[in-house]
Amino acid sequence: MTSTPRPPFRKLRGYAFDPALALQMETAPISTIVYKVPWEDRKTADSGTLDVGPVGEYVEVIDYDPTVQKSYLPVDLNNEYILAQDGLDPSEGNPQFHQQMVYAVVMTTITNFERALGRRILWATRRPGANGFEDYVARLRIYPHALREANAYYSPRKKALLFGYFSSAPANESIQMPASLVFTCLSHDIIAHETTHAILDGMQRNYNEPTNPDVLAFHEAFSDIVALFQHFTFPDVLKNQIQKTRGNLADQNILGQLAQQFGSAIGNYGSLRDAIGEVDEKTGQWRPKTPLPEEYRTILEPHARGSILVAAVFEAFINIYKSRIADLLRIASNGTGILTAGELPVDLVNRLADEAAKSADQVLQMCIRALDYCPPVDITFGDYLRAIITADVDLVADDSRNYRLAFIDAFRRRGIYPKGIKTLSVESLQFEAHPRESQNPLFGILTDFLRKYRNDVMYVKDRKETYTITQKYMGGDEDNDIEGLHDRIFGKFDNDGEFEKLTGLVFSGDWKDFGINASRSNPNDPAFEVQNLRLVSRIGPQGKQVNQIVFSLLQRSGVKLKQGIFDVDAPVKEKHFDPSRRTKVREAFVLRGGCTLIFDLDTLALRYAIAKPLLDTARMAYLPQSRQIDLKTRKMDKARIEQQYQYQHGIGIMGMTDYSLYFKNALTHGEPFAFLHNH
Amino acid sequence: MAKQPKPSSKKITHADVRMYRMGTGDCFIVKFFTGENKKKDNIFTMMIDCGTWQGAKEQLTKFIAHLKEYVAEDREDNVPTIDLLVVTHEHKDHVYGFDACSDLFVNTVKNSKNFVVNKIWMGWTENDNPAQPGDVLTEKVKQWKDEYGQRKKALNATAQALKERFGSDEQKIEADSKPNGLVAFQYNYADAVNQFADLHFSARAGVYTGDLEGMRVVKKEIANNNITYLHPGQIIDNVVEGLRFYVLGPPTTIEAIKKESGKDGETFSHSHNNSLTDNDAFATAMLNLVEPQSSGSVLPFDDTYIKDEKPEAYTRDNWRSIDHEWLNSAGSLALRMNSATNNLSLALAIEFIDSGRVMLFPGDAEFGSWESWHKDIKWPIKGKDGIKPLTEDLLNRTVFYKVAHHLSHNGTAKRQGVEMMTHPDLTAMATLDYDIISDGWKNTMPNRDLITDLLRRTKGRLVIMNENELMVGQDSGKKSLHEKILESREQLMNSAEKADFNDALTTEDLFLQVKVKA
Repeated sequence: MTSTPRPPFRKLRGYAFDPALALQMETAPISTIVYKVPWEDRKTADSGTLDVGPVGEYVEVIDYDPTVQKSYLPVDLNNEYILAQDGLDPSEGNPQFHQQMVYAVVMTTITNFERALGRRILWATRRPGANGFEDYVARLRIYPHALREANAYYSPRKKALLFGYFSSAPANESIQMPASLVFTCLSHDIIAHETTHAILDGMQRNYNEPTNPDVLAFHEAFSDIVALFQHFTFPDVLKNQIQKTRGNLADQNILGQLAQQFGSAIGNYGSLRDAIGEVDEKTGQWRPKTPLPEEYRTILEPHARGSILVAAVFEAFINIYKSRIADLLRIASNGTGILTAGELPVDLVNRLADEAAKSADQVLQMCIRALDYCPPVDITFGDYLRAIITADVDLVADDSRNYRLAFIDAFRRRGIYPKGIKTLSVESLQFEAHPRESQNPLFGILTDFLRKYRNDVMYVKDRKETYTITQKYMGGDEDNDIEGLHDRIFGKFDNDGEFEKLTGLVFSGDWKDFGINASRSNPNDPAFEVQNLRLVSRIGPQGKQVNQIVFSLLQRSGVKLKQGIFDVDAPVKEKHFDPSRRTKVREAFVLRGGCTLIFDLDTLALRYAIAKPLLDTARMAYLPQSRQIDLKTRKMDKARIEQQYQYQHGIGIMGMTDYSLYFKNALTHGEPFAFLHNH
Repeated sequence: MAKQPKPSSKKITHADVRMYRMGTGDCFIVKFFTGENKKKDNIFTMMIDCGTWQGAKEQLTKFIAHLKEYVAEDREDNVPTIDLLVVTHEHKDHVYGFDACSDLFVNTVKNSKNFVVNKIWMGWTENDNPAQPGDVLTEKVKQWKDEYGQRKKALNATAQALKERFGSDEQKIEADSKPNGLVAFQYNYADAVNQFADLHFSARAGVYTGDLEGMRVVKKEIANNNITYLHPGQIIDNVVEGLRFYVLGPPTTIEAIKKESGKDGETFSHSHNNSLTDNDAFATAMLNLVEPQSSGSVLPFDDTYIKDEKPEAYTRDNWRSIDHEWLNSAGSLALRMNSATNNLSLALAIEFIDSGRVMLFPGDAEFGSWESWHKDIKWPIKGKDGIKPLTEDLLNRTVFYKVAHHLSHNGTAKRQGVEMMTHPDLTAMATLDYDIISDGWKNTMPNRDLITDLLRRTKGRLVIMNENELMVGQDSGKKSLHEKILESREQLMNSAEKADFNDALTTEDLFLQVKVKA
């Protein structure tokens, strides 16, 4: 029909942060930006993906407001008038702009994520689906006006983002009119934060179980990190703030702050969260926050605890940025490094902004990449630090700018140490590469299978097809005679003590003695689950290529305690129960073990096994003069069991808000990913 | 007829503080004596509140009957008579007794002497007809109470809506069989909100009938033009010789009333509830369910953008619908209303003038109220030494403390409350009964840190309505609270103190009583 190529982007205007900036003189010029989201063709009977709503390939905005039982007319982004002016004008009073804004920010976040990850993202599946199995979820659903409260959340159950609106009660009435309506779906930070929750849930399904104080906090922190670093992709805002802080991003600036309007509307002085500083309530003055190691021990509420991780990552970023601009500052100051008074020259601002954007992008990439190196359950901040370091070592051989040290130092200053590490160095923090040589022949056969998987999915562009192929490789496909990964693993490693030591999971015939439930397909075998099979291919900044296949194994064990103590040597009946059934014992819970296995497709070797074991793997010993594990040395991981129990039944309670105390279960069976847990 | 405060040659020697064990909730009789002869030496009898979480009239009747007998027994005319009735605040656990057993309190026949109350005290916020219209505070309160009334209605509407959707018998059966399932969560949630709603107002067969019936009974049927509404900062010493009453709460600023907890170190709370905000948008939508509001006030956008039909995709994918999610905001509304009402408690410090010893009855005051005693009250005098701020001095001299809000984390201020209670004779009474309590409350009551602190300060003289089932400590150090209390008494008191305390404490099925020396 036409020879004009398809445009790469659709331009949509929106608030850079939220409507609050438009009301202040100094920030008004940067309050709106043009989001560039991947172009989607107009949906027709046989082609295109973008429909009225907007409903696109990844998301569907459904603007139904249950609080008044009304719908708001959906926007058609393909309308020619709207197209001609880069989308609707930013406006609080037009719900169609609200729809456009959430679409723009969600798509921007997804795009940034996919770029860092090197693959297309999939939403968490619906389990159980309509027919009792697992259903593919094509689109994340977005309800821009779903609640009437100062909150927004990602609902793992509905695979939906629910945004609230509320009447404000500000501390500083000059910025926010009291009782005016504030819409959370107009805040870039809140949208990006909640979208990240959804993406992360699609990648690591078990991160919504609070098995230790870090798990939910990690979800919050990670979502904040993505939202924060996205600020650095807005060039005008960045330059404005560089000029304002004279290049020192450790000073108060809006790039490091989250949810300005929301924060002041619920009565905070300024933003809801700030990665580098805080406002002194007495003086009203901003001041930088000094890291306090005891905070990591004492702060348990997920958002507040997450802030510790956010501050660590942000500090790493600031230090990387500082080292990258040191030469520029020297050049601009005749070697003194001290800039002369007055406004910075525009050229310098542009260069500094470049460096800031680059540093931010690299830090964010490091954070996102690390997700593939995390254990599938029970993550701690320490695990995450190790994942960041290991992922970076894999991809970047020469860390000439000391990025890794910047991370280690920032974590150390906040008292975040991984367990079982004696010194903090790049070497000690890396996960152990190349597990025992003896494993390799066994894994060799598996890697052939995995290579085949790679060839099958590598060039698939359709997300649903990727999903379907992956499912077949994990679970098997009788029609096409593919034996799935699950059965292969069990066939290969049945009664293999070595594999049990590696993964911390139980595959031997005595699995019942460890509180494992029976497999649904074969009652004589222990149940375990293969999750999250994915192909990782990345090219590092120095041209190094990484080709890996990653998947996770998960297993459950029902454990019973007596007065907080788990007796590893007690008779089976006294210390275990079948985790697929319910138990009436009060001091009992289902413990999850898991292991992420990373295979290198170029060397055909298992590279890492990152485990949260059920078994106490450190105590597993070899038979004398043998390479066989002495099966009698396998015991449950007592420390892990007791710690989790203690957290969930004791100190965990202290971190809960009144809301969850009074309304029970709100933490696990309500919605775990609310923007604010305060209520 | 009532006894007048008479110039007596004898000084007050002690008070008997009796806590009736009707279930979590307050019901106290405090008798003041000038000697050991019960009949002759009782010069003044107070009653503070009469409530419980739940209970049928039949169960409560035996308590009220016993109470009436007790207050009549010292009197020559044998008429159950209260010299001073204090109703701290309008919550079910403080006034339900007046409602359930109103026939035992109300004098239906004129001049009959079923139950005689000479004087009633309430907080200034309870005054429905303030004397001075035009007064700034009065106006502010009136406006606030109007809004507050609307909120109560909204909460009631939400509670009803939740009950209809999630509270059916079938849902209860499923909730019981799968206690960790979604249905159980929804059922319990609906239940919790309903219990909060019950605290605040009367609804019969689901129809909102206004403020709590118990409060109405006191104001309209027990009172006889003898209610005095008190303001913080008042010092009253003309009631009975030898006693002085200091009015601490309710606070006179809306901010203090709304404040539920303080910063680290100020409350026994680890939660982060400081940003509780009032949300008219929610209350309006809620009210709209029962009383249609104008579309301008309910809808967030112009009519031009609005249509009535649900989007097709919404109706198709049933599992993703969000019809009820928004009702969960009611939890915040309920919590806010609960805290605000607690802060409306009339809080009194009663001083034995001669010795300066103090009995503290704060109702259910939460942090905002405690803070205001120090911050907002302008006392005309200083503490006994002429230097110390009076509030701090009163707390220093407290020898009896009625623990506010059933030992919850936010019922007792930390730095500005219990940490100032330094008197070696301190005894505390808490109206917590684990057998008769809402499930939702069990998670916040008792607060472990508060219990530990009180046990230390009182040397084990912490008297709880019913501590069965309650545990303290963690893991291997876990033991029953009862044992822990006995252990503290054994370890922390010297032998003279032990003998005194054994003497002072009376334990009966229907009540617990301590004797407080003047």
